[in-house]
Amino acid sequence: MSGRAVALPYGVGRISLGWLALVAIAAALVGVGAFAYAIQELEGPIATGLRDWGTMGGATWGLYVSFIVYFVGVSFAGITVAALIRILGLTYLRPISRVAELLTIVSLILGALSVLADLGQPLRGIANLFRYARPQSPFFGTFTMVIAGYLFASLVYFYLAGRRDAYLMAQYPSPLRWLYRAWAAGYQDTPEEKARHERISFWLALGILPLLVIAHSTLGLVFGLMGGRPGWFSALQAPGFVVLAGVSGIGHIIVLAALLRWSLGLRDQPEMAAFRWLGQALLVLGIIYIYFTIVEMVTAGYAGREHEQRLAKLVLVGYYAPFFWTGMGALGLAIGLLASQALSGRWSIPLLVASGILANVTAVAKRLIIVVPSLTHGSLLPYGIGMYIPTWVEGAIIAGLMGLGALTILLFMKAFPIMEVPAPVEEVRP
Amino acid sequence: MPRYAMTIDLSRCMGCRACMVACKVENNTPEAHFWMYVFRFEEEEYPKTRVWFLPRPCQHCDNAPCVKVCPVGARYKRDDGLVLTDFQRCIGCRYCEVACPYGVNYFHWKHPDKAQYLDYTDDPEVKSRTNNTMPPYRNPDADLRYGPEERLTAGAHHYRGVIGKCTFCVHRVEKGLEPACVANCPVRVFEFGDLDDPNSIVSQKLRTNPHFRLLEEEGTKPRVYYLMGNPPSPEVRQVMPVKGGKRG
Repeated sequence: MSGRAVALPYGVGRISLGWLALVAIAAALVGVGAFAYAIQELEGPIATGLRDWGTMGGATWGLYVSFIVYFVGVSFAGITVAALIRILGLTYLRPISRVAELLTIVSLILGALSVLADLGQPLRGIANLFRYARPQSPFFGTFTMVIAGYLFASLVYFYLAGRRDAYLMAQYPSPLRWLYRAWAAGYQDTPEEKARHERISFWLALGILPLLVIAHSTLGLVFGLMGGRPGWFSALQAPGFVVLAGVSGIGHIIVLAALLRWSLGLRDQPEMAAFRWLGQALLVLGIIYIYFTIVEMVTAGYAGREHEQRLAKLVLVGYYAPFFWTGMGALGLAIGLLASQALSGRWSIPLLVASGILANVTAVAKRLIIVVPSLTHGSLLPYGIGMYIPTWVEGAIIAGLMGLGALTILLFMKAFPIMEVPAPVEEVRP
Repeated sequence: MPRYAMTIDLSRCMGCRACMVACKVENNTPEAHFWMYVFRFEEEEYPKTRVWFLPRPCQHCDNAPCVKVCPVGARYKRDDGLVLTDFQRCIGCRYCEVACPYGVNYFHWKHPDKAQYLDYTDDPEVKSRTNNTMPPYRNPDADLRYGPEERLTAGAHHYRGVIGKCTFCVHRVEKGLEPACVANCPVRVFEFGDLDDPNSIVSQKLRTNPHFRLLEEEGTKPRVYYLMGNPPSPEVRQVMPVKGGKRG
């Protein structure tokens, strides 16, 4: 734009070959997902592997619902970390604050899109969920608190937290200056403005924390309140969802933070203290989740009704055991890796990244284990057992959604600094 | 306002499944959808084997889990006790289906027109037997709106991507007729009537016969009463289940 153009921080505006390749892969995934969704829309939900439980012998909910829960779960940690930074004053976590907030927003949008992929009448869904909303339905919480309230609060928080950087970025000559100016909206980073912003962010963060516990609990209650469905009806569902959400979300943040540190060539940002904090948080949440799972299985297997026992057996040693043990084994391994680092006091980013990935393997496997077996094998009437094998259409749509998430983050990081711009840059004013 | 209920006399049922056929014809349910289903059970071992049958319509519960969980009020309970689905409001989330412990809900995985047993649009096979004309398969009564709310609730041939289930044949009940399964049973297994009327046949049957309701322990308060029998024990084996397949 001008001869005086300077390099913008964190690679903003600089297009590299690696970035282009990643964008191409993500865009290709989105394309495949869109194609699969077109097929599903043309043929109807028959294109999926889902069918009615009962005489039809299928599973009514499957991959889509599991991933609604998974995506919404991932959103948990982003805004929690951002809020904790404000509330507890964890300054060393500040560099990952923006990527965490972005992850929350992106994954919530992906969760909402998975809902649309699952609905038989998606357009009606968009209209009728507002028009005829019924607070008595556990879905009401999912749509209002999770997808509306929580997403909206996160967007406001994200916007406010970005104003300072937008103002700083507007000082540089760049083709995106209009965006930074619009985002900053008159903010000039004066001490008074700074103080006001800090105050607003603090209270907003304080408000978001209970909101997100409620939101994730309502998602757990979608399953936990179903008295007629063995495997679901449990008071542990809601807290279990909150904790597993934290496990998957923190796992994601670790991976993203490491990727940023590596791809942007930053040696000391985010600093090791941030990774250590994330690792410790993941360790604690992982142990709590293992504890919840053991309590759940003991309750179902020991004192549970016959159907509960049968289902617990099926998950522990039966047809679904490979999924269950993959999930729990991955979490066990992640906890082992984290605990050994915590005990030795030496934290390593590759090991943390491995733990983060393993935590997400657990999250996906456990979500499938929550959703599917209760439908294929959880009938209280003697219908016989059901079967669910997802089709490529379902897999492609989920992959497309993940591609969309990656694409959004990739595009965002070239338009706006993905980490907080550290130093004031008034001196480069052109 | 009547308080409709159904009684099912298990000592009479011989498992002929005529009720299932009557339901299909009356409501145009697609392949593999059984709004009325008859379990055929086998119990104990030879030589004490016992075979018995249990028809399973929607239980039209007073405390219906499906009504509670519907996020848009498409599944609702009428004042007369019928639990119905508003096909024009249903968004196809299938929460009612997973909440119901009886397995009576069927989702339209494809358009009902494309999932009929015969191709009613233009099937040479059909035409060869009907003097080259295509018979109509849709029950015109199911296209009308019923009840004071005037919602589209009858029949199974309306939309893709919505849920459907037994309506107690709302379109027949509104005309003073019995549901199709009741009217077509050759041995009068079913009775349908008003619980508030002490002289109705269902009231009389319930006064004079031992009865139970399915999965009563779930607190659903069904409006379907089974006479002269016991609930299926965990040991029963289902024999000859329908081969509904996965066509949906």
